[in-house]
Amino acid sequence: MNRGDINIDELLNSYIDGELSQEQQIEVHQLIADDDQIAHRLRDLQRCKMLVACLPRAQAPTEIFSFLVARKPLRRRVLAVAAVAALMAVSAAVIYSIFAPKSAADRSIPGVTVATRFGGKLELTTSDLTAVDAFINRVIKDNELSNCVHTASLANRKVYSFRGGRGSLNLLLTDLATIWERFGSAKLIVETPKFGEQIIVDTVTAAQVAQIARQEHWEESIRLAKDFAVLNNMADSLPGKEILAATGENKPSLITIPKPVLTGDSKTVKHPTPADLDTKDFELTIVVKVPKVLSD
Amino acid sequence: MQPEPANIKGFPPSGIATDDAMLVERWRGGDSAAMERLILKYQNRIYNVILKICANPDDAAELTQDTFVKIIQRIDKFEGKSSFYTWAFRIAVNLTLNYCQRNTRIALHSLEAEDYDSQTQANQALKDFLSDNKSPDPAMAAQNKELCDIVIKSLMKLDDAQRAVIVLRDIEGMNYAQIAKVLDIELGTVRSRLSRGRSRLREILETISG
Repeated sequence: MNRGDINIDELLNSYIDGELSQEQQIEVHQLIADDDQIAHRLRDLQRCKMLVACLPRAQAPTEIFSFLVARKPLRRRVLAVAAVAALMAVSAAVIYSIFAPKSAADRSIPGVTVATRFGGKLELTTSDLTAVDAFINRVIKDNELSNCVHTASLANRKVYSFRGGRGSLNLLLTDLATIWERFGSAKLIVETPKFGEQIIVDTVTAAQVAQIARQEHWEESIRLAKDFAVLNNMADSLPGKEILAATGENKPSLITIPKPVLTGDSKTVKHPTPADLDTKDFELTIVVKVPKVLSD
Repeated sequence: MQPEPANIKGFPPSGIATDDAMLVERWRGGDSAAMERLILKYQNRIYNVILKICANPDDAAELTQDTFVKIIQRIDKFEGKSSFYTWAFRIAVNLTLNYCQRNTRIALHSLEAEDYDSQTQANQALKDFLSDNKSPDPAMAAQNKELCDIVIKSLMKLDDAQRAVIVLRDIEGMNYAQIAKVLDIELGTVRSRLSRGRSRLREILETISG
């Protein structure tokens, strides 16, 4: 509703919301008194606002609070633990440099500290949530990752919040890769330094997640995530992908991405590498959920 | 200034003797109880805003969790240029709008499948509420689950940007300046989005009520 240069609706909404000055309010009172149509419109808008405002409020699930509190221990405790861990890391690094098997070398990184801080969210869908959850919990237990992973259960999904070193992340992804084909979809969301900006890598593979996460600097992770996002989208839109899928090739060979080695010759390394002992530089939230169609 | 939701059942009285800036400082100084108080203070409010924007309780719970994970990750970088309140909601709304963009097709599909004709009682209640001849009864409307469902689904038919402004204003009770900060838009844009959003919502509700 307009009158001359004045947008009457905007004026009336601002009036309803108490956003007008005293002079403007007097103007509105005058308008209402002089024009039945405007008075009627005001009542319409007030009712509309009232309907939205009276919608019932829900309580946030209690799991959220317990999850967050479990995830963030007391900083004082962290500092104390960090001091002990740093001491352990130095000792472990010395011992490790002497006794470490060569085959495990690619699982560790040079030096004790990592300069990067990768953060992302991996969204996986599966029709068999119970089995996948049981599998992931076993992986966490077998690899002694319970200090790095906090879990939460929501109605149709399980959330695993990983915070740890590169070696631990690789262990987790290595095992996840073995059941990757059971996921209906896999999407990696990588945060960028720009507020609110995200990079979404659709149909991501475990290898790609590992490769993105293992970059030395966050900027490199972001760049690689962008590349994979483009490549995966291209691969999905290329003709003949159904044939490739039927023959077991997930991506066309022309744009095959060099895959990093996720697993060593054997899976004997169950414990975090020395680099893990003092670094918590990787954060990955894994959400496994039932696909929308199944959950509705 | 931080508005508290007025007379909302189920919400603890927040803001009493607690100042967010002070809690943030204490949190940064290592006091995890301060962090817990901030989470408790805002988790329901953030959850409700997210829920009314995305209309899916499971996704809202996950996005609320993501919001607080981000807050925890970034609290050391929070410069205090805006209040903690608008900063936290900015993170929440950004995550939710990103989510909405990714899930547009699913949302539209579920709305198209909706059959409003089957809810004749709720339609009549909506008609009565909107009618100029009768005095609206907000308490009755709040208790009518079907009517609330219609309003929520009607909200979902709005543009994401319009819906976010309406939810922040009418559910969370933010003023226009706070909404502008949360969405990083001009005050004039808040006015126009709110105005267009309410007009559109009114049209949708009138169509449904017949």
